[in-house]
Amino acid sequence: MKPVRLSQRERLLVHCAPARAERIDDRAMRAAVFRAAKSDEFVRQQQFDRAVAALVHAVPIPPETAHWFSSEALIARPKWTWKRAAKNPAVVAVGIACLVIAGVFIIQFIEHLHDFPGSSRARRLLSVANSSRSVLLDPVRTDAGALGDLFFMKHNLEHYEVPPPFAEFQTLGCRVFDDEEAGRAAQIWVTEKRMQFFLFPAERDPKTGTAPDFADWRFVEQEGWSGAVQQQHGVLFMAAIRGDRQLLAPYLNTPKE
Amino acid sequence: MLGDAQKAREVFEATLRAATERAGESEAPVDRFWLYREARGRCLEASEQSLQAEDVDLPEEELSPTALDQLAQIDADQLAIWISAAPEPQRTALALFYLDEFTHRELLKIAELKTAELGPLLSSARRQLQAWLNTILPVEDAS
Repeated sequence: MKPVRLSQRERLLVHCAPARAERIDDRAMRAAVFRAAKSDEFVRQQQFDRAVAALVHAVPIPPETAHWFSSEALIARPKWTWKRAAKNPAVVAVGIACLVIAGVFIIQFIEHLHDFPGSSRARRLLSVANSSRSVLLDPVRTDAGALGDLFFMKHNLEHYEVPPPFAEFQTLGCRVFDDEEAGRAAQIWVTEKRMQFFLFPAERDPKTGTAPDFADWRFVEQEGWSGAVQQQHGVLFMAAIRGDRQLLAPYLNTPKE
Repeated sequence: MLGDAQKAREVFEATLRAATERAGESEAPVDRFWLYREARGRCLEASEQSLQAEDVDLPEEELSPTALDQLAQIDADQLAIWISAAPEPQRTALALFYLDEFTHRELLKIAELKTAELGPLLSSARRQLQAWLNTILPVEDAS
Protein backbone atom coordinates (compact mmCIF):
# COMPACT_ATOMS: atom_id res chain seq x y z
CA MET A 1 0.00 0.00 0.00
CA LYS A 2 1.14 3.50 -0.80
CA PRO A 3 1.32 6.26 1.80
CA VAL A 4 -1.62 8.61 1.35
CA ARG A 5 -1.26 12.35 1.72
CA LEU A 6 -4.11 13.75 3.77
CA SER A 7 -4.89 17.32 4.67
CA GLN A 8 -4.79 18.35 8.31
CA ARG A 9 -8.57 18.32 8.46
CA GLU A 10 -8.72 14.87 6.90
CA ARG A 11 -6.10 13.59 9.32
CA LEU A 12 -8.19 14.86 12.24
CA LEU A 13 -11.27 13.12 10.89
CA VAL A 14 -9.36 9.90 10.27
CA HIS A 15 -8.12 9.92 13.86
CA CYS A 16 -11.76 10.12 15.02
CA ALA A 17 -13.03 7.50 12.57
CA PRO A 18 -15.11 4.83 14.32
CA ALA A 19 -13.92 1.28 13.87
CA ARG A 20 -17.16 0.37 12.13
CA ALA A 21 -18.02 2.12 8.87
CA GLU A 22 -21.75 2.21 9.70
CA ARG A 23 -20.99 4.53 12.63
CA ILE A 24 -19.67 7.20 10.28
CA ASP A 25 -22.43 9.80 9.91
CA ASP A 26 -20.33 12.62 8.53
CA ARG A 27 -19.79 13.04 4.81
CA ALA A 28 -16.39 14.68 5.22
CA MET A 29 -15.27 11.87 7.50
CA ARG A 30 -16.53 9.26 5.05
CA ALA A 31 -14.51 10.91 2.29
CA ALA A 32 -11.41 11.13 4.47
CA VAL A 33 -11.75 7.49 5.50
CA PHE A 34 -12.21 6.48 1.88
CA ARG A 35 -8.94 8.17 1.01
CA ALA A 36 -7.08 6.90 4.05
CA ALA A 37 -8.32 3.34 3.59
CA LYS A 38 -5.45 2.73 1.19
CA SER A 39 -2.79 3.46 3.81
CA ASP A 40 -1.16 0.90 6.15
CA GLU A 41 -1.32 3.38 8.99
CA PHE A 42 -5.09 3.67 8.82
CA VAL A 43 -5.62 -0.07 8.40
CA ARG A 44 -3.48 -0.64 11.51
CA GLN A 45 -5.44 2.04 13.41
CA GLN A 46 -8.74 0.39 12.52
CA GLN A 47 -7.53 -3.05 13.56
CA PHE A 48 -6.18 -1.61 16.79
CA ASP A 49 -9.46 0.18 17.53
CA ARG A 50 -11.50 -2.95 16.83
CA ALA A 51 -9.33 -5.00 19.15
CA VAL A 52 -9.55 -2.38 21.93
CA ALA A 53 -13.34 -2.10 21.45
CA ALA A 54 -13.64 -5.89 21.71
CA LEU A 55 -11.64 -5.78 24.91
CA VAL A 56 -13.81 -2.97 26.32
CA HIS A 57 -16.90 -5.03 25.57
CA ALA A 58 -15.28 -7.88 27.47
CA VAL A 59 -15.09 -5.78 30.65
CA PRO A 60 -17.20 -7.87 33.04
CA ILE A 61 -20.48 -6.34 34.20
CA PRO A 62 -21.39 -7.28 37.78
CA PRO A 63 -24.44 -9.58 37.85
CA GLU A 64 -26.40 -7.18 40.08
CA THR A 65 -25.96 -4.48 37.40
CA ALA A 66 -26.46 -6.85 34.49
CA HIS A 67 -29.93 -7.83 35.68
CA TRP A 68 -31.09 -4.29 35.11
CA PHE A 69 -30.51 -4.75 31.41
CA SER A 70 -32.47 -7.98 31.23
CA SER A 71 -35.67 -6.24 32.27
CA GLU A 72 -37.48 -4.66 29.34
CA ALA A 73 -39.65 -2.55 31.66
CA LEU A 74 -36.70 -0.88 33.33
CA ILE A 75 -38.58 2.37 33.49
CA ALA A 76 -42.34 2.09 33.29
CA ARG A 77 -43.88 4.21 30.58
CA PRO A 78 -45.80 7.11 32.08
CA LYS A 79 -49.51 6.41 32.29
CA TRP A 80 -51.67 7.83 29.54
CA THR A 81 -54.14 10.31 30.97
CA TRP A 82 -56.62 12.72 29.47
CA LYS A 83 -54.93 15.54 31.36
CA ARG A 84 -51.56 14.76 29.77
CA ALA A 85 -53.10 14.31 26.34
CA ALA A 86 -54.94 17.62 26.64
CA LYS A 87 -51.65 19.42 27.25
CA ASN A 88 -50.10 18.03 24.09
CA PRO A 89 -49.81 20.93 21.59
CA ALA A 90 -50.71 18.63 18.70
CA VAL A 91 -53.87 17.51 20.46
CA VAL A 92 -54.74 21.12 21.32
CA ALA A 93 -54.23 22.16 17.68
CA VAL A 94 -56.36 19.29 16.38
CA GLY A 95 -59.02 20.06 18.99
CA ILE A 96 -59.19 23.73 18.00
CA ALA A 97 -59.35 22.79 14.31
CA CYS A 98 -62.19 20.33 15.00
CA LEU A 99 -64.08 22.98 17.00
CA VAL A 100 -63.73 25.51 14.18
CA ILE A 101 -64.87 22.96 11.57
CA ALA A 102 -67.77 21.91 13.79
CA GLY A 103 -68.69 25.58 14.30
CA VAL A 104 -68.72 26.22 10.56
CA PHE A 105 -70.89 23.14 10.01
CA ILE A 106 -73.31 24.21 12.76
CA ILE A 107 -73.59 27.72 11.33
CA GLN A 108 -74.16 26.28 7.85
CA PHE A 109 -76.75 23.87 9.23
CA ILE A 110 -78.60 26.59 11.12
CA GLU A 111 -78.51 28.88 8.10
CA HIS A 112 -80.04 26.23 5.89
CA LEU A 113 -82.36 24.74 8.53
CA HIS A 114 -85.35 26.65 7.16
CA ASP A 115 -84.38 26.37 3.52
CA PHE A 116 -87.08 25.57 1.00
CA PRO A 117 -87.15 25.18 -2.78
CA GLY A 118 -86.39 28.63 -4.16
CA SER A 119 -84.76 30.01 -1.01
CA SER A 120 -81.43 30.56 -2.79
CA ARG A 121 -83.23 32.56 -5.51
CA ALA A 122 -85.06 34.53 -2.83
CA ARG A 123 -81.75 35.38 -1.13
CA ARG A 124 -80.32 36.45 -4.44
CA LEU A 125 -83.27 38.82 -4.95
CA LEU A 126 -82.82 40.24 -1.44
CA SER A 127 -79.35 41.28 -2.62
CA VAL A 128 -81.02 42.90 -5.63
CA ALA A 129 -83.42 44.69 -3.28
CA ASN A 130 -80.47 45.95 -1.23
CA SER A 131 -78.76 47.44 -4.28
CA SER A 132 -81.87 48.77 -6.08
CA ARG A 133 -82.73 52.43 -6.38
CA SER A 134 -86.27 53.61 -7.10
CA VAL A 135 -85.11 55.48 -10.22
CA LEU A 136 -84.37 52.13 -11.87
CA LEU A 137 -88.07 51.21 -11.80
CA ASP A 138 -90.78 52.42 -14.16
CA PRO A 139 -93.00 54.75 -12.11
CA VAL A 140 -96.42 53.15 -11.62
CA ARG A 141 -98.88 54.43 -9.04
CA THR A 142 -101.61 51.90 -8.45
CA ASP A 143 -102.56 49.03 -6.14
CA ALA A 144 -99.96 46.28 -6.07
CA GLY A 145 -102.71 43.73 -6.80
CA ALA A 146 -103.45 45.43 -10.10
CA LEU A 147 -99.98 44.83 -11.49
CA GLY A 148 -100.71 41.13 -12.18
CA ASP A 149 -102.64 42.14 -15.27
CA LEU A 150 -99.84 44.44 -16.38
CA PHE A 151 -97.27 41.66 -16.09
CA PHE A 152 -99.51 39.30 -18.01
CA MET A 153 -100.51 41.73 -20.75
CA LYS A 154 -97.16 43.43 -21.22
CA HIS A 155 -94.66 40.70 -20.37
CA ASN A 156 -96.74 37.54 -20.78
CA LEU A 157 -95.99 36.54 -17.19
CA GLU A 158 -98.78 34.30 -16.01
CA HIS A 159 -99.73 34.09 -12.31
CA TYR A 160 -97.38 36.96 -11.35
CA GLU A 161 -100.00 38.05 -8.83
CA VAL A 162 -99.40 39.89 -5.54
CA PRO A 163 -101.20 37.90 -2.79
CA PRO A 164 -104.07 39.50 -0.84
CA PRO A 165 -102.19 40.66 2.28
CA PHE A 166 -100.09 42.98 0.09
CA ALA A 167 -102.46 43.55 -2.83
CA GLU A 168 -103.77 46.91 -1.61
CA PHE A 169 -100.42 48.59 -1.03
CA GLN A 170 -99.74 51.64 -3.21
CA THR A 171 -96.89 51.14 -5.64
CA LEU A 172 -94.11 53.58 -6.54
CA GLY A 173 -92.79 51.66 -9.52
CA CYS A 174 -92.10 48.29 -10.99
CA ARG A 175 -89.89 46.54 -13.50
CA VAL A 176 -89.38 43.13 -15.07
CA PHE A 177 -85.84 41.89 -15.47
CA ASP A 178 -83.92 38.74 -16.18
CA ASP A 179 -81.76 37.52 -13.37
CA GLU A 180 -79.07 34.88 -13.93
CA GLU A 181 -80.12 32.91 -10.90
CA ALA A 182 -83.75 33.80 -10.27
CA GLY A 183 -84.87 33.87 -13.92
CA ARG A 184 -87.46 36.35 -15.17
CA ALA A 185 -88.42 38.36 -12.12
CA ALA A 186 -90.84 41.20 -11.45
CA GLN A 187 -89.86 43.83 -8.87
CA ILE A 188 -92.41 46.16 -7.28
CA TRP A 189 -91.63 49.07 -5.00
CA VAL A 190 -94.42 50.11 -2.60
CA THR A 191 -94.85 53.10 -0.35
CA GLU A 192 -95.54 51.02 2.77
CA LYS A 193 -92.28 51.03 4.75
CA ARG A 194 -90.44 51.15 1.40
CA MET A 195 -91.03 47.44 1.00
CA GLN A 196 -90.21 45.69 -2.24
CA PHE A 197 -92.10 42.76 -3.74
CA PHE A 198 -90.60 40.18 -6.04
CA LEU A 199 -92.35 37.66 -8.22
CA PHE A 200 -90.20 34.99 -9.82
CA PRO A 201 -90.51 31.46 -11.15
CA ALA A 202 -90.44 28.58 -8.64
CA GLU A 203 -87.54 26.16 -8.55
CA ARG A 204 -88.62 22.93 -10.13
CA ASP A 205 -87.51 19.53 -8.93
CA PRO A 206 -84.98 18.33 -11.54
CA LYS A 207 -86.28 14.75 -11.26
CA THR A 208 -90.04 15.28 -11.32
CA GLY A 209 -90.15 18.68 -13.02
CA THR A 210 -92.73 19.86 -10.49
CA ALA A 211 -92.66 22.76 -8.06
CA PRO A 212 -95.10 22.09 -5.20
CA ASP A 213 -96.79 25.27 -4.02
CA PHE A 214 -96.91 26.31 -0.37
CA ALA A 215 -99.45 28.69 1.09
CA ASP A 216 -97.63 29.33 4.35
CA TRP A 217 -95.02 32.07 4.67
CA ARG A 218 -91.40 31.11 4.71
CA PHE A 219 -88.55 33.42 5.58
CA VAL A 220 -85.15 34.26 4.21
CA GLU A 221 -82.56 36.79 5.35
CA GLN A 222 -79.66 38.36 3.52
CA GLU A 223 -77.54 41.48 3.93
CA GLY A 224 -79.81 42.97 6.60
CA TRP A 225 -82.96 42.35 4.59
CA SER A 226 -85.75 39.93 5.42
CA GLY A 227 -88.14 38.31 3.02
CA ALA A 228 -91.46 36.48 3.47
CA VAL A 229 -92.00 34.01 0.66
CA GLN A 230 -95.09 32.20 -0.59
CA GLN A 231 -95.58 30.06 -3.70
CA GLN A 232 -98.78 29.90 -5.76
CA HIS A 233 -99.22 28.42 -9.26
CA GLY A 234 -95.53 27.85 -9.68
CA VAL A 235 -94.63 31.48 -8.98
CA LEU A 236 -92.88 32.66 -5.84
CA PHE A 237 -93.91 35.94 -4.22
CA MET A 238 -91.53 37.62 -1.80
CA ALA A 239 -92.21 40.66 0.32
CA ALA A 240 -88.83 42.13 1.21
CA ILE A 241 -88.12 44.66 3.94
CA ARG A 242 -84.95 46.10 5.37
CA GLY A 243 -84.57 44.84 8.91
CA ASP A 244 -85.79 42.00 11.02
CA ARG A 245 -88.40 39.51 9.82
CA GLN A 246 -90.65 40.61 12.71
CA LEU A 247 -91.35 43.78 10.72
CA LEU A 248 -93.24 41.65 8.20
CA ALA A 249 -95.31 39.78 10.78
CA PRO A 250 -98.16 42.29 10.98
CA TYR A 251 -98.80 41.95 7.24
CA LEU A 252 -98.94 38.18 7.12
CA ASN A 253 -102.11 36.24 7.71
CA THR A 254 -100.41 33.16 9.08
CA PRO A 255 -96.88 34.00 10.15
CA LYS A 256 -94.82 30.86 10.51
CA GLU A 257 -91.20 30.34 11.55
CA MET B 1 -14.40 5.56 33.24
CA LEU B 2 -13.98 4.85 36.94
CA GLY B 3 -11.86 1.69 36.90
CA ASP B 4 -13.77 0.55 39.97
CA ALA B 5 -16.73 -1.85 39.64
CA GLN B 6 -18.33 -0.77 42.93
CA LYS B 7 -18.22 2.94 42.08
CA ALA B 8 -19.43 2.23 38.57
CA ARG B 9 -22.39 0.34 39.99
CA GLU B 10 -23.25 3.22 42.34
CA VAL B 11 -23.09 5.72 39.48
CA PHE B 12 -25.17 3.44 37.29
CA GLU B 13 -27.86 3.04 39.93
CA ALA B 14 -27.89 6.75 40.76
CA THR B 15 -28.27 7.58 37.06
CA LEU B 16 -31.13 5.15 36.69
CA ARG B 17 -32.77 6.55 39.80
CA ALA B 18 -32.57 10.06 38.34
CA ALA B 19 -34.02 8.81 35.07
CA THR B 20 -36.88 7.06 36.92
CA GLU B 21 -37.64 10.20 38.91
CA ARG B 22 -37.78 12.28 35.74
CA ALA B 23 -40.00 9.72 34.06
CA GLY B 24 -42.28 9.70 37.12
CA GLU B 25 -42.59 13.46 36.93
CA SER B 26 -43.52 13.11 33.24
CA GLU B 27 -40.47 15.19 32.45
CA ALA B 28 -39.16 13.57 29.30
CA PRO B 29 -35.62 14.79 28.57
CA VAL B 30 -35.37 16.90 25.45
CA ASP B 31 -31.79 15.71 24.94
CA ARG B 32 -31.85 12.09 23.80
CA PHE B 33 -28.33 11.62 25.14
CA TRP B 34 -29.39 12.80 28.57
CA LEU B 35 -28.73 9.40 30.16
CA TYR B 36 -25.15 9.28 28.87
CA ARG B 37 -24.43 12.88 29.86
CA GLU B 38 -25.89 12.25 33.29
CA ALA B 39 -23.81 9.09 33.74
CA ARG B 40 -20.68 10.90 32.55
CA GLY B 41 -21.29 13.81 34.93
CA ARG B 42 -21.75 11.44 37.85
CA CYS B 43 -18.58 9.54 36.88
CA LEU B 44 -16.63 12.79 36.87
CA GLU B 45 -18.06 13.70 40.27
CA ALA B 46 -17.22 10.28 41.68
CA SER B 47 -13.69 10.32 40.32
CA GLU B 48 -13.01 13.75 41.85
CA GLN B 49 -13.28 12.14 45.27
CA SER B 50 -10.78 9.40 44.52
CA LEU B 51 -7.10 9.34 43.62
CA GLN B 52 -6.25 11.67 40.76
CA ALA B 53 -3.99 10.71 37.88
CA GLU B 54 -0.71 12.53 37.88
CA ASP B 55 -0.37 15.19 35.26
CA VAL B 56 2.58 13.69 33.40
CA ASP B 57 3.37 13.35 29.75
CA LEU B 58 3.05 9.67 29.02
CA PRO B 59 5.38 8.20 26.47
CA GLU B 60 3.95 7.63 23.02
CA GLU B 61 4.91 5.08 20.41
CA GLU B 62 3.74 4.32 16.89
CA LEU B 63 1.14 1.59 16.56
CA SER B 64 2.98 -1.65 16.23
CA PRO B 65 2.13 -4.53 13.88
CA THR B 66 2.21 -6.70 17.00
CA ALA B 67 -0.36 -4.54 18.83
CA LEU B 68 -3.18 -7.02 18.21
CA ASP B 69 -1.16 -9.82 19.81
CA GLN B 70 -0.31 -7.58 22.73
CA LEU B 71 -3.96 -6.62 23.22
CA ALA B 72 -4.94 -10.28 23.11
CA GLN B 73 -2.69 -10.91 26.06
CA ILE B 74 -4.00 -8.26 28.42
CA ASP B 75 -7.02 -8.48 30.63
CA ALA B 76 -10.17 -6.35 30.05
CA ASP B 77 -9.89 -5.03 33.60
CA GLN B 78 -6.33 -3.90 32.96
CA LEU B 79 -7.51 -1.90 29.98
CA ALA B 80 -10.43 -0.46 31.99
CA ILE B 81 -8.01 0.71 34.68
CA TRP B 82 -5.69 2.19 32.08
CA ILE B 83 -8.55 4.15 30.50
CA SER B 84 -9.82 5.34 33.89
CA ALA B 85 -6.37 6.72 34.66
CA ALA B 86 -6.40 8.95 31.59
CA PRO B 87 -6.93 12.67 32.24
CA GLU B 88 -10.18 14.33 31.29
CA PRO B 89 -11.45 14.78 28.62
CA GLN B 90 -9.31 12.04 27.12
CA ARG B 91 -10.85 9.50 29.48
CA THR B 92 -14.39 10.37 28.37
CA ALA B 93 -13.34 10.31 24.73
CA LEU B 94 -11.74 6.87 25.11
CA ALA B 95 -14.61 5.40 27.11
CA LEU B 96 -17.25 6.58 24.63
CA PHE B 97 -15.17 5.88 21.51
CA TYR B 98 -14.32 2.31 22.46
CA LEU B 99 -17.86 1.54 23.57
CA ASP B 100 -18.40 1.56 19.81
CA GLU B 101 -22.05 2.48 20.24
CA PHE B 102 -22.10 6.01 18.91
CA THR B 103 -21.66 7.75 15.61
CA HIS B 104 -19.04 10.45 15.33
CA ARG B 105 -21.54 13.28 15.82
CA GLU B 106 -23.21 11.58 18.74
CA LEU B 107 -19.87 11.09 20.40
CA LEU B 108 -19.02 14.78 19.97
CA LYS B 109 -22.34 15.75 21.53
CA ILE B 110 -22.06 13.49 24.54
CA ALA B 111 -18.39 14.27 25.20
CA GLU B 112 -19.00 17.97 24.47
CA LEU B 113 -15.95 18.06 22.24
CA LYS B 114 -15.12 19.22 18.73
CA THR B 115 -13.49 17.14 16.03
CA ALA B 116 -10.37 19.27 16.38
CA GLU B 117 -10.19 18.29 20.05
CA LEU B 118 -11.27 14.67 19.74
CA GLY B 119 -8.83 13.77 16.94
CA PRO B 120 -5.62 14.60 18.85
CA LEU B 121 -7.02 13.05 22.06
CA LEU B 122 -7.67 9.71 20.36
CA SER B 123 -4.51 9.75 18.30
CA SER B 124 -2.42 10.47 21.36
CA ALA B 125 -4.28 7.85 23.42
CA ARG B 126 -3.59 5.15 20.83
CA ARG B 127 0.12 5.91 20.88
CA GLN B 128 0.18 6.05 24.69
CA LEU B 129 -1.67 2.74 24.87
CA GLN B 130 0.85 1.23 22.47
CA ALA B 131 3.68 2.54 24.65
CA TRP B 132 2.04 1.03 27.71
CA LEU B 133 1.55 -2.29 25.90
CA ASN B 134 5.20 -2.24 24.88
CA THR B 135 6.12 -1.65 28.50
CA ILE B 136 4.05 -4.43 30.04
CA LEU B 137 4.48 -6.80 27.08
CA PRO B 138 7.80 -6.09 25.46
CA VAL B 139 7.78 -7.00 21.80
CA GLU B 140 10.19 -9.87 22.13
CA ASP B 141 7.92 -11.36 24.85
CA ALA B 142 4.74 -10.71 22.89
CA SER B 143 6.03 -12.39 19.80
